[in-house]
Amino acid sequence: MSFDVPDDCRYLESHEWVRIADGTATVGISDFAQDELGDVVFVELPAAGDELSKDEDFGVVESIKAVSDVYAPISGTVTAVNEVLTEEPELLNEDPYGEGWLVEVEPADEGELDDLLSPEAYRDQIE
Amino acid sequence: MTDHSRAAGESRGTPYAPHTPETTAAMLSAVGADSEDDLFDIPEPVAFDGEFGIEARSERATRRHVEGLLGRNDDLTEFLGRGHYDHYVPAVVDDLASRSEFLTSYTQYQPEVAQGFLQALFEYQSMLVELTGLDVANCSMYDAATALGEAATLSQRVRSVSGDRVLVPDALREGKRAVLENYADGPGVAVETYPTDDANADLDGLEAALDDDVAMVYAENPTVRGTIEENLGEIGDLADDHDALFCLGTDPVALALLSEPASVGADVVVGEAGTLGVPAAYGTGHGLFVTREDYLRQVPGRLVGAAEDESGRRTYTLTLQTREQHIRRERATSNICTNQAWLALRTAIHAAWLGPDGLLDLAESCVTEARDLAERLDVVEGVRAPVHDRHHFREFVARTDRPAEAVRADLAEAGYAVHAVGEHEIQVCVTETTADDADGLVAAVEEVA
Repeated sequence: MSFDVPDDCRYLESHEWVRIADGTATVGISDFAQDELGDVVFVELPAAGDELSKDEDFGVVESIKAVSDVYAPISGTVTAVNEVLTEEPELLNEDPYGEGWLVEVEPADEGELDDLLSPEAYRDQIE
Repeated sequence: MTDHSRAAGESRGTPYAPHTPETTAAMLSAVGADSEDDLFDIPEPVAFDGEFGIEARSERATRRHVEGLLGRNDDLTEFLGRGHYDHYVPAVVDDLASRSEFLTSYTQYQPEVAQGFLQALFEYQSMLVELTGLDVANCSMYDAATALGEAATLSQRVRSVSGDRVLVPDALREGKRAVLENYADGPGVAVETYPTDDANADLDGLEAALDDDVAMVYAENPTVRGTIEENLGEIGDLADDHDALFCLGTDPVALALLSEPASVGADVVVGEAGTLGVPAAYGTGHGLFVTREDYLRQVPGRLVGAAEDESGRRTYTLTLQTREQHIRRERATSNICTNQAWLALRTAIHAAWLGPDGLLDLAESCVTEARDLAERLDVVEGVRAPVHDRHHFREFVARTDRPAEAVRADLAEAGYAVHAVGEHEIQVCVTETTADDADGLVAAVEEVA
């Protein structure tokens, strides 16, 4: 089974991804992570305005077989939260890098990206 | 007789515990601990290092001794309320709840073998949902006070609310407040009061106390002084205006008659469910906890859900356990992942036995019995009852010309227990279990007032 690992993201070993565009960081969980979890039934997220610290948990993803904390790949202020997931948590399974995004963050320090796994390194980790 | 004295390194077990010194040693060796003391690491200041001083006696001698102790209790006819209420528990409750399928020290949660019990708990939850008009009830907490504590911590967790102040009426019973403060201490919730006026919530005072950092407003109906709170809708609106949760304290008998909590904007309903199915002599019954579906994931304690098995039959199982500490440890919604299943079962049986009409009749009698007794005490020289010109439920406050404490003590001498709640105020509670003793109480008040 091969998993989708987009080249425009960086990754945490705990399977979160972050994508920077126009100074905004979008955060989610990887295709591998959603497959491991199985059907996602609930997502608990922070509120806009909350501060995230890199490597600290900021939310919870619950599936029919597990509950997992989600860790921040980057520090910063939450600018948007994917409220659609409240009603449709299955988007995490269906489109983890698109409609299943979790939060948007205004990064405190984009230099933190250098500590993250490249797509190649993350592929190596999960294969 | 078994010798319970413990030599060094010997098991702490009793003849009733399954662990022999050999099995204990095997377990210690498996986890790599030298001794039980080493494994449990109990801090010295709190470790018990004494003898229990329990002498062994035969069953017959023990029974005689305990009966002698019980005989020393005052045998008073109790007109006491303020949170503990005695309603007649029909024989069917004892009979059914004592069936061996139900009566076990181990709560039956395994759906493969406990469908009957799980269904009974589901019925209990459904009954509370019906009585409150809210969406989700758990299958019980320890008591009304812990349910209130859980509501306070829930209010801190839900995303639609921010802040860490909880407002309670100044008349809140001391014991309830103490439990709430214990709960509030860890998560840093501040418990503050708002004033009451003539036993109703003082809306101006409440509004003055409200701010955007209030997470929850708590009110009771009936109030601690037995009155029906007249400002529930306004309290709900005020809480809503400040994005605070509105938590209402009540009980299933009162709910049969009083306005539905959902209709006055209650977000959480807590209270003593043990007013049904459990005698007051149990000290406390079990707490009810009901809330809106929005907060489903934040509900503390156990929830029974209905599902279907693979052949399409309706089945019951504990659900959403990921909220609970045996799954999520420190990230759980609450450090309670138990309930009072057998008491909830008794409540469900009692409620089912009464049915909606029977429950309503019982609730109406709580209004009329209290009203009639207050009227009779009001004509006694030196007594005015009730203090509040209001509808009452089960209990009321009466003013006494003599100091209330002296009246209380003299009534106890005469065989009747009431509360002294103020310098010149006694509180009297009457239900169907004491209605027949009302004549005696009135006569005694005539003597001592």
